[in-house]
Amino acid sequence: MKSRIKTIFAILTVSLASCTDVVDVEVQNGPERLVVEASLDWEKGTAGNVQTIRLRKSTPFFDTKTTADVTGASVVVTNDTSGETFAFMDQNNGIYRTTNFRPVLGQSYSLRIEYDGEVYTARETMTPVTDITNVFQDRAEGFDDEALEVHVVFTDPPEEGDNYLFRFQREGDLLPDLEVAEDEFINGNEIDWWYEIDDDNENLEPFEPGDVVNIEMYGISRPYYDYIKILIDQLGGVGIFEATPVAVKGNCINETNPDNYAYGYFRLTEVVKTSYTFLED
Amino acid sequence: MNSKSHLNPATKTIVWLLRAFFLGSMLAMGQTSHTISGTVTDKSNGETLFGASVFLVGTTIGGVTNEYGFYSITAPEGEYVFTISYMGYNDVTININLNQDIKSDVEIAEFSTELDEVVVTAEEPERAILQKPEMSVVKMNVGTIKQTPVVLGEVDVLKALQLLPGVTNNGEGTGGFHVRGGAQDQNLVLLDEAIIYNTSHMFGFFSVFNADAIKDVKLYKGGIPARFGGRVSSVLDIRQKDGNSKDFGLTGGIGVISSRLTAEGPVFGDKGSFLIAGRRSYVDLILKAAGEDNSVAFYDLNLKTNYSIDRNNKLFLSGYFGRDAFDFDGIFENSYGNASGNLRWNHIFNDRLFSNLSAIVSRYDYYLNFDQEDFEWVSSIINYNLKYDLKYYWSDVFSLDFGANGIYYDFDPGQVQPTSPDSPVNPLKLDQKRALETGIYMNAEHKLTDRLTAQYGLRYSAFSRLGGQPITEYANAQPVVYNSTLGIYERGEAIGETEFARGDAIETFGNLEPRVSLAYLLNEDSSIKAGFSRAAQYIHLLSNTSSVTPLDVWTPSGPFIEPQLSNQYALGYFRNFLNKAYSLEVEGYYKTVDNRIDYIDGSELIGQNTIETEILNGEMRAYGLELLLRKNEGDLTGWIAYTLSKSEQRTPGGIAGGPGINNGDWYNTFFDRTHDVSVSGSYRWNDQWSFGANMIFQTGRPVTYPNGQYEYEDLSIASYAQRNSDRLPAYHRVDVSATFKPRRYQHKRFKGEWVLSIYNLYHRKNAAAISFGQNVETGANEATRTAIFGIVPSLTYNFKF
Repeated sequence: MKSRIKTIFAILTVSLASCTDVVDVEVQNGPERLVVEASLDWEKGTAGNVQTIRLRKSTPFFDTKTTADVTGASVVVTNDTSGETFAFMDQNNGIYRTTNFRPVLGQSYSLRIEYDGEVYTARETMTPVTDITNVFQDRAEGFDDEALEVHVVFTDPPEEGDNYLFRFQREGDLLPDLEVAEDEFINGNEIDWWYEIDDDNENLEPFEPGDVVNIEMYGISRPYYDYIKILIDQLGGVGIFEATPVAVKGNCINETNPDNYAYGYFRLTEVVKTSYTFLED
Repeated sequence: MNSKSHLNPATKTIVWLLRAFFLGSMLAMGQTSHTISGTVTDKSNGETLFGASVFLVGTTIGGVTNEYGFYSITAPEGEYVFTISYMGYNDVTININLNQDIKSDVEIAEFSTELDEVVVTAEEPERAILQKPEMSVVKMNVGTIKQTPVVLGEVDVLKALQLLPGVTNNGEGTGGFHVRGGAQDQNLVLLDEAIIYNTSHMFGFFSVFNADAIKDVKLYKGGIPARFGGRVSSVLDIRQKDGNSKDFGLTGGIGVISSRLTAEGPVFGDKGSFLIAGRRSYVDLILKAAGEDNSVAFYDLNLKTNYSIDRNNKLFLSGYFGRDAFDFDGIFENSYGNASGNLRWNHIFNDRLFSNLSAIVSRYDYYLNFDQEDFEWVSSIINYNLKYDLKYYWSDVFSLDFGANGIYYDFDPGQVQPTSPDSPVNPLKLDQKRALETGIYMNAEHKLTDRLTAQYGLRYSAFSRLGGQPITEYANAQPVVYNSTLGIYERGEAIGETEFARGDAIETFGNLEPRVSLAYLLNEDSSIKAGFSRAAQYIHLLSNTSSVTPLDVWTPSGPFIEPQLSNQYALGYFRNFLNKAYSLEVEGYYKTVDNRIDYIDGSELIGQNTIETEILNGEMRAYGLELLLRKNEGDLTGWIAYTLSKSEQRTPGGIAGGPGINNGDWYNTFFDRTHDVSVSGSYRWNDQWSFGANMIFQTGRPVTYPNGQYEYEDLSIASYAQRNSDRLPAYHRVDVSATFKPRRYQHKRFKGEWVLSIYNLYHRKNAAAISFGQNVETGANEATRTAIFGIVPSLTYNFKF
């Protein structure tokens, strides 16, 4: 909700009097870092044994050519209580995979990566998520009255401190959309979370009957919420009424050389996935 | 033992000054002296004139009128030629025989009776003032402001000020202004002495000051007189017109964006006058007519009336109400505005002691209504200010300002209310905060020799953060903690709360603020001036964005936020030349600000009850060189302004531990501008046509660009470089305007003029922001520029009846 308050200014300034165009800009070149996409997501109703971790390198901002996959690393996840370890096997394409992971909600796990003579570690707790109770479509809500939006209904659990990550992607679209929510203002309530593609986006058409949108709702930890929220706020760039963008630091520490920290995050979530096909209304 | 040898240099200086002062005043009393005092007003409308100079020809005895047009000068008995002069007005000369105290109210007339205030006049800007120690001051008259070409034809006080050295903005379409590398919230903006918290309409496209209702604009960039307090960078003192006390009149204008109408005239017989000025935008009406669901509107209302009880007592009542309202397609409504009122009592105790008592209320509030999500958001700040200022004209070489004031603040940083029973949002009220700010001051203007004049004063300010709210306690007293493992700043752990009762003070602060300046007259045409001033600021605007938004809330100093303290040193050279047709002002300054708050990465300020968990305590420094060359006379007038400056801030980890923000290194503030050049000119071709032009060049403002990318969640994530380590492209543009006064109106009571202006003549797409993201079709990263105003022509019709 807070972020929606903020987006108002961006929308208003842009809609009042302005024009945008794509320009050539010279940017600085920062240090190359390891990128850890260690998202151990346990889909409700599945065993959650098969998990992958991706390792890559960061590249110059406008670079489109460099292959960034990292191979030859050792990747191990440990259950902090039982000491059980899960080795992730190098698939030689930046992906490391295990088929025997055992997810436990509320359990703390540790990640250890050895790469290029340096050791990276991270620790995180697997966070549960509530169920989606209803998904439907409408036009009345959203920033655009005429555009179709999908509604995801769920009930926030009574205890405070639930955090959510939503991932929406229309089939056929190149990029997914991420949104986050916390229960600070809405604790314990039934929530109707809507998502639409409004016609302000000149490159994307609003939803149409027949479109299929994939919906994922993750239960996330507070530290991950703080992390992904900044990351999402900075997606697509930062306008004059938004906070100064920063180099977002995740939870992967370089034990050997702390300044050479890794991008990305070691997250453990429970996730509910569904999809919705828009109908004629 | 000689105790004097223990005096430190500062004390010695004070002792010397005291001696000089008593000696001076004794000399003045040694022979019979008399005082001439009174008020200077404009002959055509009875408006009192602020800053008119009054002097006795052939002597060095003189002074200037105060904000209420009052003057008082004291001289030895004798016959004198008494002269009153004011820029743009004919001098008035009176022969006086000063053998007793004289009261003399003087009316002076503008240069040409053809000209009047609504018609853009060739009124000259002020020359360099050589003898007064007052420096770092910009005074603009409304005539000059109205002459400046402006975007969409809306005359704008703040944009005109930005054409002068040391004053910048934060890009088009953003509110407020920056003075000498200071932040927006470090400017004290006063409209008839009432604090204005937000100076912008429509998020900064226009300012809240309706030029038709304004008499004087004075900006103190440094050397802030001791009577002002509460902000560390500058004071913008704007005074509303009193209203025409001779004739009833209507003034107005019809523009592209808004229309204005001002009514003024005498009231209470000949005892007073009134002024009502209104302005309303009609973009919303146009949008509605065009079938748009979005709506945007603003309006202001300025009110003023005064009543003379007798010669020595006069009452003024002034008010301002302004509001912006947006309706975005019925999804959310948004409105915000300032409201203020001031009741003043001028009392003249005797011909040498002038006083003014003011009781002022001002309020700023912000409202949001989310129709769809069924909740509304309200935040506000209210203050009540009582202030008593006196000026004693002791002798021809010494005058003293002194007074006291107290401000009670009530901050309501935010409330969330569900607007329907099925709203998904729970009610929430952030803790209301209260505070009391008081100040006492004394300031002397002292002519030490014929060449050397000093202004020295002291202000003592105190601030109490009052109870009526709980204060959170944190583990290890750290509201913010450095997580050395992850290398990030995190919110501290709350371990309890202390509830403070309404009457109790949670925390108190006190500061001595010395203000000193000297002017030394080198010769008839040039002088050098030097100044030092210290100022304290107890309330802070919370903003972690590059531009302040109307939603940003003010917060008082308290257990976790220290008052900001600034020290500013300035040195200047002032010269009039070529028979005073030209003037040159060169000033250098160095300014430091302690306790400037800065925001940790990912700080969340909206709806935040514990601001202390989002901020660290830092400092600022700014320095620069300002140059102003003006041509004051002739058909072509104008100026060239150049500023070379630097503005930086640094925030160490402090009690939170760690290296601090940006590694604890100095970094550019959002408003650092290396070069800032403005050329502004106006040319009067004939009685019908006049022309104006501006040229502006500025170094691009500091921004943060990416320095790398990586893939995460199937998206390209930008990783950003150090804060403000990049810059937008340079900003430049040219504006022109032409004013046409049809001849047929010239001798009638009804007068009109057309103003055609073209903003950004060569359609430069100045970047207000450059943002970085992925193209949704190709997935490639790209940089997108947002430009606010391209070329904007506009036509305005002004009239006076």
